[in-house]
Amino acid sequence: MSAPLEKDGQEDGQKGGTVGAAVTASPTTASSTTASSTTASATAAPILAFDDVRVDYRGRSSTVSAVAGVSLELRAGETFGLVGESGCGKTTLSMAVMGLLPDRAQVSGEIRFRGEDLVTMPAGRRRRLRGDDVSMVFQDPATSLDATFPIGEQVAETIRAHRSVSRREARDRALQLLAEVGIPDPAARYSDPPHRLSGGMRQRVVIAAALANDPDLLLADEPTTALDVTIQAQILDLLAQLKQRHGMTMLLITHDLGVVAQICDRVGVMYAGQLVEVAPVDQLFAAPRHPYTRALLQALPSRAQRSGRLAVVEGQVPDLSEPPSGCRFKERCPHRMPVCDTTPAATPAGAGSVACWLETVDRATNVELAEQVGGAA
Amino acid sequence: MIALEPVTVTSRRRRIPMPRWGGREGMAGWIILGVLVLVALLAPVLAPHSTEAIDGSRIFGAPDWSHPFGSDDLGRDVFSRVLYAYRASLSIAIGSVLLAMAVGIPIGLIAGYAGGWTDLVLMRAVDLLLAFPALLLAISLIAILGPGGLVALLAIAIIYVPIMARVVRSSVLVVRNQPYVLGARARGASHWAIVRGHVLPNAIGPALVQASVLMAFAIIIEAALSFLGLGAQPPTPELGLMLAEGNNYLTQAPWVEIFPGLAIALSVLAFNLIGDGLRRSFDPGQLAR
Amino acid sequence: MTARLAYVGRRILLTIPVLIATSIFVFLLIRLVPGDPVQTMLGIRATPDNVATVRAQLGLDKPLPEQYWTWITGVLHGDLGQDFISHEPITSLLGVSLPITLELTVLAMLLAVLVGVPLGVLAAVKGRWTRRISGGFVVAAISIPEFWLGIMLVLLFTGVLHLLPPNGWVPITQDVGLNITYMILPVLALALGQTAYLLRTTRAAMLGTAGEPYVAFLHAKGLRTRTVIYLHMLRNASGPIVTVAGIQFGVLLGGAIVVENLFALPGVGRMVVGAISNRNYVVVQGGVLVIATLFILVNLLTDIVHGLLDPRVEEAVAR
Repeated sequence: MSAPLEKDGQEDGQKGGTVGAAVTASPTTASSTTASSTTASATAAPILAFDDVRVDYRGRSSTVSAVAGVSLELRAGETFGLVGESGCGKTTLSMAVMGLLPDRAQVSGEIRFRGEDLVTMPAGRRRRLRGDDVSMVFQDPATSLDATFPIGEQVAETIRAHRSVSRREARDRALQLLAEVGIPDPAARYSDPPHRLSGGMRQRVVIAAALANDPDLLLADEPTTALDVTIQAQILDLLAQLKQRHGMTMLLITHDLGVVAQICDRVGVMYAGQLVEVAPVDQLFAAPRHPYTRALLQALPSRAQRSGRLAVVEGQVPDLSEPPSGCRFKERCPHRMPVCDTTPAATPAGAGSVACWLETVDRATNVELAEQVGGAA
Repeated sequence: MIALEPVTVTSRRRRIPMPRWGGREGMAGWIILGVLVLVALLAPVLAPHSTEAIDGSRIFGAPDWSHPFGSDDLGRDVFSRVLYAYRASLSIAIGSVLLAMAVGIPIGLIAGYAGGWTDLVLMRAVDLLLAFPALLLAISLIAILGPGGLVALLAIAIIYVPIMARVVRSSVLVVRNQPYVLGARARGASHWAIVRGHVLPNAIGPALVQASVLMAFAIIIEAALSFLGLGAQPPTPELGLMLAEGNNYLTQAPWVEIFPGLAIALSVLAFNLIGDGLRRSFDPGQLAR
Repeated sequence: MTARLAYVGRRILLTIPVLIATSIFVFLLIRLVPGDPVQTMLGIRATPDNVATVRAQLGLDKPLPEQYWTWITGVLHGDLGQDFISHEPITSLLGVSLPITLELTVLAMLLAVLVGVPLGVLAAVKGRWTRRISGGFVVAAISIPEFWLGIMLVLLFTGVLHLLPPNGWVPITQDVGLNITYMILPVLALALGQTAYLLRTTRAAMLGTAGEPYVAFLHAKGLRTRTVIYLHMLRNASGPIVTVAGIQFGVLLGGAIVVENLFALPGVGRMVVGAISNRNYVVVQGGVLVIATLFILVNLLTDIVHGLLDPRVEEAVAR
């Protein structure tokens, strides 16, 4: 239920989370709302805040709980990496920010962009945010561009969708952007259809389109996964550079810890729809606390290796149409305890937070505590 | 009329998949068709009057209890004539498609399976026939052979052979290079065993879907040919011919035009519904619903 | 741009063998008539002299390849032979009838596109009920033969409402308004089935594009839903739509034959059918050749349009 919150809001957040977990699976409680406002006054306002976000995909016979109570705050200007195996809900979470989930997806909780809730925002206003203040780069450049349109126009139309500029001006700006993302001779390529470009070049076009209106927040969903290894590094460098130059906040979704190590400031680890650990990159790699995070890092052949892939953790991801109660990692966890049937709250750990009972419960006393928590429900 | 809609079935089923009813609509189609076939078979029992009995007292007689569809310009009972007309319509529709399948499926199998020059030559020939508008091709053939019901059947079958061949060929191409077919080849399975075991089961679904759609159009084409005087000849009870004969008295006796037309539409509808149902059950992923 | 030109050129070249094969088929049309075609044409009362004259006129006394060569050379020079009843050149008959057939079919196709495509888009993007209703409309509309629909339209608009003339024709050069008045019912009769086909094709093609990642990216760029649907998705869906429209034009030409006969429009279809009953084979030949060629050219055109709308096509052909 509850997941790591920001450091400053931790105490309140934890309380809210725990209560929520013990009593019902109800969405946001009053106290956690207070928690975030406290945070806002304490430090710089978070640019993006998730507050107990849940996403359920309603199917004909079953409902899949893809995101289960994620709370998280992104600080303005940081690069936040969100890692996890495929199907852990990281893409769903980013699509929820964009408001691009299919109709059968039901979102609850709050996603606040600069303090304003996106979930309840009218569709028109939300559209105007997309591609303007908040942009997104997709995974596969081969399919994220419209194959029937010239690449230049696909950048220019993004500008014209948000600014009242002439065709001419949009074109000039698009040419500038294409040059900025490293397309050689943009004027000559402007009218090319996407299939004349290599994968790396196409991803540059996608990035140019995403940056067209100088967004404050960029979501990048596995932006390098579909590319060749040598190109991956180039695209990552480009993203890091652009992020600096435009002063953006970046939410980078990846299953590649190497990518995280390379460009992220902080990392969130997701497992089966829950956010299990949040920490600064150095801390996560040096002292991972959640058993899942540890397993992930151990699965890397060498921690130094740049492009280590995940998913070599023993066991299987639970079926999200019938998720286990409590911690969703418990079935693969070497430290499973009875108390794990109750959702652990986010607990501060160094400069980050961990949602695991190991943090709060001494192994010897956990049976007792589980009874207490169970009794409260 | 002849929309080529190849349906690709990529599943690896060894057994020939049995057509399911295809949902409510498919079921409705089968029921309507069943009733119509019964009507055609039992026409001599069901028809209240003779199809050729000319009754001077009932020229343009309006529908009543004993003549539910009214009477035509010669006082003949439209209802009885419609019942009998279904015999010609349905047998020409079904017969022409069966004939086209008998010729087209082997052509498609051979072309798709053999590939190379065989494929090229066969498909060029097929493309040439497809370069003609279907009805024009039928009319050209009738121009050569002269009008008549059997000629109409033959003409429609000839139009359909290339369509059938194309549909079968495209589904053969889908399976031909599948690993399990290549594996069977490597194991030394005979061509016939591969065709029967792997290729045919995958080709049959799309072929059946196409067949039901083609039967629907066969009914329209046959009626159109008769309407133009190029199909069945008077005094045969035939739906298109009845429409042609009654057209001059449209405002005087609209029932002579309304009921045979409805009869055509109903049988076409039945085949179309069956086709949609088959399409769905063979290829549930297809979005064309 | 050069890739496009190459694509168009290649596609035109591919059409030539088809045209040649078609011409051979049409040429053989007369020669395939069982028995003596000239005797059949002229009837029993024809004198041997008559028969010999017509046979010589058609060149039937020469070997087949030579006959074909003479005939095709004539065709390429605009000589399709002579109607042996009226002694008019076939080309001048076609000069009258072809524009009528073209007007009828082009108007019907235009109507079908203008109604069917937007409805198909709507059926794809709106809710379940729109989808169901449009599904019902499609299956009903394609089940109604165009000539019966035509008869029912006459019954309604002439018999009951007295709004329109039942049949007949006035040259467009004489009176445009009257010409259109006579065209309304034939066009409607012809267009309904086509509308249904285009609706179905459009709906399927639009649904096919809906799940593509690029559509999500277009939304992510903040484009209006309208722009995403009508500018991007529709253009991506245009391939199947244009292709089906091209194939359906052949159906339309076939349907026109029947509709022209029903509404007494003196188009090519009526000319051909009338000629068949008169065993006027030269006229049949000319009419069939013209309609078949027209269909081949329409298919060429749709392929070219498809290539222009979707740049991937030219690439696929070039490979």
